[in-house]
Amino acid sequence: MYIGNETNRIDALDKVVGRPIYAEDLSVPGALFGCVFRSVRPHALIRRIDASAALASSGIVKILSYRDIPGENIFGIIKKDQTYLAEDRVRYVGEPILIVLGQTEEAARKALRLIEIEYEDIDVISDPFISGGSRTLIHEKGNLLSHRKVIKGDIEKGFDEADVIVEHTYTTAWLDHAFMETESGVGYPDNKGRIVVVSSTQNIHYKQKEISKLLAIPEENIKVIQATTGGGFGGKLDVTVEGFLALSVYHAKRPVIMRYTREESFLSNTKRHPLYIEYKTGARKDGAITAIKVSIIGDTGPFASYGETVCLRAAVHATGPYEIPNVHVDSKMFYTNNPVSGAMRGFGVPQLAFAHESQMDEAASMLKLDPFDIRIKNALKKGSLTATSQALHNSVGIVETLKKIEPYWRKRTRESGKTGFGLGCMYYGIGNTGVSNPANACLTITGDGKIALHTGACEIGQGSDTVLAQILQEALGLKMDDIVLVRGDTDTSKDAGSSSASRQTYISGGAVFDAAKKMRQYLDEKGFYKGRSIRDIYNSEADKKLLEHNGFFDPPTTPVDPETSKGSPYATYAFATHMTEVEVEKETGSCRVKKVYAAHDVGRAINPKNIRGQIYGGIAMGVGFALMEEFIPGKSGSFDNYYMPTSMDMPDVEAFIVEDQEPTGPFGAKGLGEPALIPQAASIVNAIKDATGVRAFELPCHIERLKILLEKAKR
Amino acid sequence: MKAIHFTLNGKKASCEVQDKELLLHTLREQFSLKSLKEGCGIGECGTCTVLIDDEPHYSCLTLASKINGHDVKTVEYLGDAELLHPLQKAFIDSGAVQCGYCTPGMLLSAYSLLIKNGDPSDDEIKEAISGNLCRCTGYIQIIEAIRNAAGLCKCKS
Amino acid sequence: MLPDFASVNPETKREALAFLDSLDDARVIAGGTDLLVDMKRGESCGNVVDIMNVKELKRLSVNDGKIIIGSTVTHAAISKTVILNDMAQSLSVACGWVGSPQIRNMGTIGGNLVNASPAADSIPPLLIHDAILSIESKDGMREEALEDFIIAPYETSLRPRELLASVCIKGLPGYREGYRRAAKRAAWAISRLSVAWAISEDDDHFVDVRLAIGSCTPMPFRPRDVEEFLKGREKNDPVIREAVEIVAEEIRRISGDRPSFVYKMPVVKDLVQKALRG
Ligand code: FES
Ligand code: FES
Repeated sequence: MYIGNETNRIDALDKVVGRPIYAEDLSVPGALFGCVFRSVRPHALIRRIDASAALASSGIVKILSYRDIPGENIFGIIKKDQTYLAEDRVRYVGEPILIVLGQTEEAARKALRLIEIEYEDIDVISDPFISGGSRTLIHEKGNLLSHRKVIKGDIEKGFDEADVIVEHTYTTAWLDHAFMETESGVGYPDNKGRIVVVSSTQNIHYKQKEISKLLAIPEENIKVIQATTGGGFGGKLDVTVEGFLALSVYHAKRPVIMRYTREESFLSNTKRHPLYIEYKTGARKDGAITAIKVSIIGDTGPFASYGETVCLRAAVHATGPYEIPNVHVDSKMFYTNNPVSGAMRGFGVPQLAFAHESQMDEAASMLKLDPFDIRIKNALKKGSLTATSQALHNSVGIVETLKKIEPYWRKRTRESGKTGFGLGCMYYGIGNTGVSNPANACLTITGDGKIALHTGACEIGQGSDTVLAQILQEALGLKMDDIVLVRGDTDTSKDAGSSSASRQTYISGGAVFDAAKKMRQYLDEKGFYKGRSIRDIYNSEADKKLLEHNGFFDPPTTPVDPETSKGSPYATYAFATHMTEVEVEKETGSCRVKKVYAAHDVGRAINPKNIRGQIYGGIAMGVGFALMEEFIPGKSGSFDNYYMPTSMDMPDVEAFIVEDQEPTGPFGAKGLGEPALIPQAASIVNAIKDATGVRAFELPCHIERLKILLEKAKR
Repeated sequence: MKAIHFTLNGKKASCEVQDKELLLHTLREQFSLKSLKEGCGIGECGTCTVLIDDEPHYSCLTLASKINGHDVKTVEYLGDAELLHPLQKAFIDSGAVQCGYCTPGMLLSAYSLLIKNGDPSDDEIKEAISGNLCRCTGYIQIIEAIRNAAGLCKCKS
Repeated sequence: MLPDFASVNPETKREALAFLDSLDDARVIAGGTDLLVDMKRGESCGNVVDIMNVKELKRLSVNDGKIIIGSTVTHAAISKTVILNDMAQSLSVACGWVGSPQIRNMGTIGGNLVNASPAADSIPPLLIHDAILSIESKDGMREEALEDFIIAPYETSLRPRELLASVCIKGLPGYREGYRRAAKRAAWAISRLSVAWAISEDDDHFVDVRLAIGSCTPMPFRPRDVEEFLKGREKNDPVIREAVEIVAEEIRRISGDRPSFVYKMPVVKDLVQKALRG
């Protein structure tokens, strides 16, 4: 058995001795250093740029503008509306305008200060509510990026049947991924005349495609390699340094290094979308939720990035893991001149979980029900219909996660006025929403008698390499020594899709499983399981092509209806319940998270140690989201004013794994990366209410907000 | 330029440094110690942590000229793949490593604690690593690893 | 990226003072945790005098109830020195809150004072201990009370060729002392508000109350009115309530009404109240 073992990560040994090569560690002789010259205005026409002094300054080799782009100056994961380098207009503070290539980093950074630019300011749209009606257009087609609805049942009837109505508005802030390694990479021409980009990334094949369009060079002449990556969380999905590196190499014909400073990373990296959520819940006396009506307004900044995804995913998940007969969700995403918001661990669902879990507690309190009981009463079960009217047939573990937590909930004791307990539940669709999002994997037999797994899945710290290797081991009955991983290189792997949406275990795992089935059959035919060695099989195979077995998996989904979102947007869902104990210091408003019990239905635990790691990391991010993290444009630019949890902010955690197997997943596995974070902030907010009687409707609920709430409650 | 002489990972070392050179860059560039990372450059993340006279310091805010005559340790001092330090082994076994970017600095802060305190409490461990941010792990398996290694180190002595 | 500068590493105070006297556009560096950050953000200077190797400045001595702390004694050293924990507990607690372990190993008390941030943790405790600074230059030595030394946020009376050599405080035996702060995370955070106190009292009266408040007004300060008011007063709820109002008034007198006071005022009141109650 290789599945379910407390296997150590295959990359851990290198990492504890400091050996892995992150992009910044590549030494490339003769490399230039590239820096980005960025906008300091949120919305302006560029009247004039004078880079002559910068170009003439010592050590400067080239300065590139959009005019130097041979292909298309546009990119974007879904809607392509983001320019690599601004043309005549800038739309946010931090927007790239020029690339300066210097002999050294120092020369390049110094030269940035010599560039003169004249702006003509345009009306700044800094509020999504104003954006829709504004005559100032951020893009020609208008300021509404996306509008999605989820409609199920009869909303009026649902509220008529309700005995109580709970109605509140919830708002959240911009968050930064704050991966410890900033965006960085190296580009160089290889000896075949191709352009190679090595970077810190979550998706090599996507980047290859974008670069190909940028340079108008066929994809096969672009090679993208993933360096060891110091965290992603969604922030290394969009093109960051990769496009600039490729363009620089294209012109300079020599290696180029780029690395954002932390300040630059804060300025330019996509953020978690701040959402404004109006939420109305109707419930009957017995606790059954009869209807919800939700309106979501989001601010995606000036470019789409993952705005459409968040708009839809937030809407689809607005009910939480509950079966609610009547649903009306209206979700809109607007362009503004604020920072670009994009993908961040959970794509809008953590924000919604904050809302629906707060509502759940409020409804329970109005009905004098236990928060636990109201959740279990409404929880999705086998056969339930989700908000998109998708019938859930398999792997619906929400009730089981609740049951894991129940004993702790029942015996909780709080210290009056000081400590409190809160619950948070969630469900999360694994993979992309209502679209095909396949992964490939390829297995080959090598001359030295090993099975090589070729995968394009990016290990960003979440542990996919180890998990995929375990799946392969299990499927073939092989020891780790018999396997080699060939990964993170567009030359040696086919597209596995992005490391995002908690999809690699499930989808790339599925592809590996598929390839392994074929390989197993082949090995079986060749007598491997009767004792013949792999090397022997290799040597005796005349047609080496037969040594290769390709695997593929695309989760069975259906597109959602454009009007009602009816459909099966995800093939499977993860479920979780967190219970959190907090202690509030009333004098200062500081809230300490003492203990978290977290139960997750992962389908099947491939690597429990990794799973716990994801849960703990998700909880840390949830603590940050709930209590301290807030990116304020124009103010936040370092870890000195963007706080994220330290070791001393972390609670004790007890993690429970629920395995309600998913038949379409490899050995029954689903995903976990994002679910670990999603319910955490919600459970903290509920615990604060339990401890103090005040409820936060705005996150983060940092010391100042909480103290002010406590003061107001006194009056 | 200044000539400096110091002890680096247990061995005598000397080099020439610019007056404004930072220890982080000296060690990365002149000594190829790439395990030191620059996550922020201004003393706010901990990825550049080194031990100076066995106490953790941020090498991004330490002028290289300061270390003349001192003892400097990086994670390479602890052990290599062939002979791991129990603390490194504990990090692997506890799952304390995800992306690994914070790991070298984290190990050094932990090591500095364990050589002073063979039986630290969880609070002492948390405090000792509170100057090293980790965005991936939520610290819990790191704390567990340090706790376990403390036991191991003690058994050995 | 640091700007260009030349640096010297004197080993004696005399050498350091001579360098300061002879070098133009010179800045003193100790731990570097403030200066190098400022320089990376664009500040520059021609010369840097690194005083970290100067032994005289690293001393911490106790004499006759007086504690003399050399300017390059680190926060870590202060927070871990047992005798300080006895004689000036608020200071050792406060220094234990500064930055992170690494910052405390690097940053020095002198650096904290010269930087003169309104949020500096070491300042309120030093204020209640009537800290006197000794400042030297090649031409001589002068002493100045900490209260006078800081003249504005991030601004001190230190003149270009001068060096802050040490801080002298007196122990407050028989006082109960403490330091509390509010910050946005559990560690490694700038204090949003801090209160240091040292209180001597008999059974039911305040004898001498010393308070200092940081991160609230432009400079940490001692609310002298309330200290005066409490002298010899009975220790009871109405008195404490009145004292708290006097503190609030003093704060408003110094800085008017600021938006941040929506938060800070109730916190100051609660913390002072708690401190007085004990
Ligand atoms: S690089 Fe972040 S603390 Fe030094
Ligand atoms: S393991 Fe990624 S930052 Fe710590």
